[in-house]
Amino acid sequence: MHIPDGYLSPQTCAVMGAAMLPVWATAVKKVKKTIKTRYVPLMAIGAAFSFTIMMYNIPIPDGTTAHAVGAGILSIILGPWAAAISISVALAIQALLFGDGGILAFGANCFNMAFVFPFTSYYIYRLIAGRSDITAARRWVGGLIAGYVGINLAALCAAVEFGLQPTLFHAASGAPLYCPYPLNIAVPAMAFGHLLIAGPVEAVATALVLRYIQAANPDLLTVGSTLAREEAHGYSKLWWGVGAMILLSPLGLLAQGTAWGEWGADEIKDMLGFIPAGLEHLSDSWHALMPDYSIPGLDGSLWQSATGYILTAIAGVAIIGAITYLFGKYQRRADQGKEMSN
Amino acid sequence: MEKTTIPGWLLEKQEPFNGDSGGCACLRGKPGRRGFVEKTIESIAQVLRDEFFAGQIAGNHGLLQSIDPRVKALTTLLLIIAASLIRHPLTLIVMNLWVLLLAKVSRVPVKIFFKRVWLVVPLFTGIIVLPSIFNIVSPGDPLLTLFKSNHQIHIGSWTLPNTLTITRQGVHGALALILRVGASVSLALILTLTTRWNILLKALNMIFVPQIFISVLEMTYRYIYLLLQTAGEIFVARQSRTVGRASTKEQRRFIGGAMGTLWGKAYNVSEEVHAAMVSRGYTGKPKTLVAFKTRAMDWLWAAFIVLVSLFFLGGDRIVAR
Repeated sequence: MHIPDGYLSPQTCAVMGAAMLPVWATAVKKVKKTIKTRYVPLMAIGAAFSFTIMMYNIPIPDGTTAHAVGAGILSIILGPWAAAISISVALAIQALLFGDGGILAFGANCFNMAFVFPFTSYYIYRLIAGRSDITAARRWVGGLIAGYVGINLAALCAAVEFGLQPTLFHAASGAPLYCPYPLNIAVPAMAFGHLLIAGPVEAVATALVLRYIQAANPDLLTVGSTLAREEAHGYSKLWWGVGAMILLSPLGLLAQGTAWGEWGADEIKDMLGFIPAGLEHLSDSWHALMPDYSIPGLDGSLWQSATGYILTAIAGVAIIGAITYLFGKYQRRADQGKEMSN
Repeated sequence: MEKTTIPGWLLEKQEPFNGDSGGCACLRGKPGRRGFVEKTIESIAQVLRDEFFAGQIAGNHGLLQSIDPRVKALTTLLLIIAASLIRHPLTLIVMNLWVLLLAKVSRVPVKIFFKRVWLVVPLFTGIIVLPSIFNIVSPGDPLLTLFKSNHQIHIGSWTLPNTLTITRQGVHGALALILRVGASVSLALILTLTTRWNILLKALNMIFVPQIFISVLEMTYRYIYLLLQTAGEIFVARQSRTVGRASTKEQRRFIGGAMGTLWGKAYNVSEEVHAAMVSRGYTGKPKTLVAFKTRAMDWLWAAFIVLVSLFFLGGDRIVAR
């Protein structure tokens, strides 16, 4: 589910990043309020845990293996806010160090895996577990369902992000600029893999860990609830509202119209309201910034101007390459000079 | 600085042990296929190996290693944004070639670079975008007609057109996507291969990222090694104790237990670390020791990258017209 750079338009990435800003800000505020300094090492190790969990290969029936994300179990143990920070950090390390997930798409990846996933899982778990005993079966059943629903909702969000790309962003020739699949392909394709494989893997992993902790170390299950108590009032309603909006926005899109994915950009604008406005503004200003590449005296006929473009392009590329090379050469000489004087 | 190198024998890919001792064969689902225990141990080792290489390359004397990390982080971001706004495959090809030159003058081994970018991207992205070159997904001008039939095929609510063609728009879009993903991945890879992690983090802190994220990131980076090692030990211990075939239920219980144990250990460590930090005077406000200095070269480089981005974007608008 890690979205690499290039699949989503920069505009979508900006919107998703902006959507994550209040989540991160609130999470930091809450975490600072609750346990103060103790939280920093706990979240750091939670992030390291989430990173390591993704290395675990879990056997699935056909003899191959898949890995879990671990966002469900982390939110159950740490509470959703701390989990949101921990998973964001794990995703940042994956993006920066291992190229797993893009840098521009970081906001979108965090939205799906560090926000939608842990919050869904956490509230489903709390709903089912209720006030049951720490060792009750209701707890691990809650974890099972929480993991399954959480990962599928996160995948649905990713699919909607993908599916909106060809409708919102395409070249004049009709060629898609980013992810080429519309909602009617992206949603079923993601749903298929996640409902059948990733979902059960995440569900079983979450339930098994919960059962193990119930048997071996039940105290660990009270960590999240003591941390969660303070957030229980005030904000929870807001987040239920946000959750409902997330649920409804793709459903609203899916229910509109009879032909799947055949809406024009204007209709999308009416439905969403926010993305294309900024996009249009942005594309206008880019056009205004662009100088025309032409050589004086060569801008008459089509042939002449085409030759002009090609010549300037070749010259430009050559100059850029040469400057890069010179920077590198200068650097090497500076280093050699330093070594000699040492 | 003294250069560290890994002895060759440590880097050799080990064949799974196929002897008759049965030490690991028992965990294989099917003969010849490695079990989840071995796969996990291998993926843990791979992470550590990759990280080691990155540390080595960051120590080379190359162009990007010498640029101020703050400038480098911002210019990389600018170039990735430029790459994602470019529309035409031709512009992207030129940009990718330039990025390759950038890798070369930054002394990133071209072999590693190719392996991490151009073996992986076309494989994964290529498979994903392959169906989109056909007229089912991307209607448009036909380039090549593969299949023609007289009656329409209905699958559920879908109606397949009676010709199957590869369209110009489809190929154009697919090519642009693969090349764009390649350029973005290359740029991110070059940034992280030429910068030491702790320096990159401090640079991020000075740009826009809040301190608490940096603190957590820094500690996470260290504890990932501890947890990876712990996880590796759990799996190796399991493998060395296993005789015979484990049932699927048993395997699943082991995975659950291994994750739960890891969390238990991690939690204990976090308590101890917290106590140790507080006893050394930690108040939640860490101090950084690295001071950055921008030189004329950094500003020149930043200006150059802005020009390069404008050149590629402008050129692209002309080509794509």
